[in-house]
Amino acid sequence: MTTLRDAAHRLGLAIDGAAATELRFRCAPEAFLGAVTTLAAEAVLADLFAVTGSGPPSLTVVFEAVGEPEWLLLRTQLTGDSFPSLTPATHVASWYEREIHEMHGLQPAGHPALARLRLHDWPVGQPPMRATLDRRLDIGPGVPSVVPIVHGQGVFQLPLGPVRSGPQESGEFLFNSGGEDLVAVSQLLGFKLRVVERLAEGRTVDQALNLAERLAGVSAFSNALAFVQAVERASAINVGARSRAARTLMNELERLHNHFGDISRLADATGLMVAGAQYASLKEDVLRRCAELTRHRYLRGILAVGGLQAPLPAIALQTLRRRLPDWLRRSERLEKLLEETAIFIDRVETTGVLTREYAAPHNLVGPIGRSTGADRDCRRDHPYAAYDQVIFEVLVKSQGDALARLSIRLFEIRQSIRILEQLLESWPESDETAPSDSLATGEALGWSEGAGGETLHWVALTGDGRIARWRARPPAFVNWHPYAEACASGNNLTDYPVIEASFGLSHAEFDR
Amino acid sequence: MSRWIALGLRSGVRTTRYPSHADPEAEIAPSAVIADLAALTPAQAAEVADLCPTSAITIEGDRERGGIAFDAGQCVMCGRCVRAFPGAFAFSPHPEVAVRSRGNLRVAAHWAGGSTPAVDAAAAELKLRSQRLFRRSLHIRHVDAGSCNGCESELQLLGSPEYDLHRLGLFFTPTPRHADALLVTGVVTRQMEQPLRDTYDAMPGPKIVVAAGVCAIGGGVFEGGFMVNGPLDRILPVDVYVPGCPPTPLALLHGLLVAVGRGAGRYRAGGVSDGD
Ligand code: SF4
Ligand code: SF4
Repeated sequence: MTTLRDAAHRLGLAIDGAAATELRFRCAPEAFLGAVTTLAAEAVLADLFAVTGSGPPSLTVVFEAVGEPEWLLLRTQLTGDSFPSLTPATHVASWYEREIHEMHGLQPAGHPALARLRLHDWPVGQPPMRATLDRRLDIGPGVPSVVPIVHGQGVFQLPLGPVRSGPQESGEFLFNSGGEDLVAVSQLLGFKLRVVERLAEGRTVDQALNLAERLAGVSAFSNALAFVQAVERASAINVGARSRAARTLMNELERLHNHFGDISRLADATGLMVAGAQYASLKEDVLRRCAELTRHRYLRGILAVGGLQAPLPAIALQTLRRRLPDWLRRSERLEKLLEETAIFIDRVETTGVLTREYAAPHNLVGPIGRSTGADRDCRRDHPYAAYDQVIFEVLVKSQGDALARLSIRLFEIRQSIRILEQLLESWPESDETAPSDSLATGEALGWSEGAGGETLHWVALTGDGRIARWRARPPAFVNWHPYAEACASGNNLTDYPVIEASFGLSHAEFDR
Repeated sequence: MSRWIALGLRSGVRTTRYPSHADPEAEIAPSAVIADLAALTPAQAAEVADLCPTSAITIEGDRERGGIAFDAGQCVMCGRCVRAFPGAFAFSPHPEVAVRSRGNLRVAAHWAGGSTPAVDAAAAELKLRSQRLFRRSLHIRHVDAGSCNGCESELQLLGSPEYDLHRLGLFFTPTPRHADALLVTGVVTRQMEQPLRDTYDAMPGPKIVVAAGVCAIGGGVFEGGFMVNGPLDRILPVDVYVPGCPPTPLALLHGLLVAVGRGAGRYRAGGVSDGD
């Protein structure tokens, strides 16, 4: 018996249906805190979300365990709007509960720091995921939220944002500094809040797929893939072999262009402009191959429920295959040069450190998580699309600094190229089965490993192929949580641009 | 350090020759859709309007007297119409898709009883509101007013060796006080409206405003959302519209040249015109 099944059995949780690799349980609200606390000690809490609307509100926790392909979903139906906070026993629940509180109006009783997460000037009693909000409804004056200030002798504040200096995403930061060193960093996020998931309710799955593709631009494909796989799992739709290979290929192309782009920005932040330009060129080259394959540089408009909107053109696949050795050669040469550039290594080594101890309770994902010892990668742990047919390695480090995050991305670039080579080596002739796109009432989890890490989407469908509820938990939601702490501990003000670039966190994914 | 310089020099010039020469990349990664609405029957029109994920394709009125409208300012480039009705919808082979008149992103056709619709005439391109003669260079202040970061990704690549916007005298500036143009991406969320207005107010006049991407132009897939205060031209006077989701780097270069008066808006939603 696996860890998850075993724990559920010991806790005496009631079975609440199942889907392939998805164990569903439910329990009474009184038993919820105890059950989650026990499970969180043995497994990884990967998501916590609320569903409100018609009927009583419910809470769902998603767990995974190291080395087990299954997910465990535990749900409880609340009888009122309050529930005992999970945060005192399980730290990672903190931001999830703050989100549930402001977006759904549910009360996590006993939460130690129930501040707003994204809403700024917003009235109490109008939770955006629940209230009947109409377009341009006069929401009225709200309670403004401000960036917290650290007071102390000799501490001064330096603000940054929300409008940034270059073409960058909006977000506000406040550096509390005693001179050169950073005492603390406060952040105000949520400027870009669009409430994407609420917008999808009642729309057709195809319309919602277009929203999923625009939740975040540089991770358009991984988010849309997790979404579409959730829809397919909810409706028991099988995807043909060639489409699965194509999805895997595009997932890797997106991972590649993000890693190239992130390293480009890191190099720029350290003043290494030639390296920045070289990596930007590599990103551009990947985007061009994406456009050749799909007519869209960010791989939008290609996914469909049951497969793809159109097969990938053979000529574009051949061009891609010819480019792979060049990408590998160029990136290996750059990698070697970076390693040998002492002033560069000085800027990234021991900069923006997330210690293993601090990071562990946050269940971090992607290169940020893997740089702090979190050995998780959905492609290996929960194989989807054609990942069960390719060989690749996952690098885990423990230093948690900008250098470790960089090393992991550099390693993953080589692995992505290796995966692409294998896929193109044995490209399936056809899908074998005709794609089915008959949607059914149901719900399911979908996942993918984007460049930022584990991407989870959960959907509930109505009978007529529309979205009843949609929950997106992109990697940035998890990884923003420890960010301010990593910026402050032992760093100087001048390190900030390097730290920011080394994290490469998406505001759009967090704000949603 | 010298090895980096050597590498930079060795890598050679791969910068686009656009705008003095056409760039073949424009056809591979298209910048907009163009529509020949007269090619559609009323039934096909209804079908394609249903297929379109945004309000880029809409049916107006009833079948007898009604018609169909296409708005490139709301087209997210999903390709569904092009794949389903290649006779009526196509990807524009040109990257020159920025316009000064919002109307030139739209085209409509009315059946008026028959099944062959009459197509609207294109609008005249507006003159730049500002008569200020720009220096040869343009300093651009960018504001992300609620984007998905796709638009920023393309803006950042304008600085890559492939596009090198500095060669055209175009620069991003970190301070609004030095800016000639405000380039806005994203839907203008409720929480970004004030910071956006503050930036605009801090710029010296006359100011040029560029709406980049369909989110800023019409809201894109987020149109009508209760956190969406845009589109941008409801909040600020817009001089140049650059459609796309995201606008391609070539389209952005063209849009910025239009903003300085060094390029013309030749896109027409019903087919590209040869000039103004
Ligand atoms: S390509 Fe544009 S017009 Fe065509 S269906 Fe997609 S959004 Fe609509
Ligand atoms: S226009 Fe498209 S790419 Fe740009 S912000 Fe909107 S959704 Fe993202």
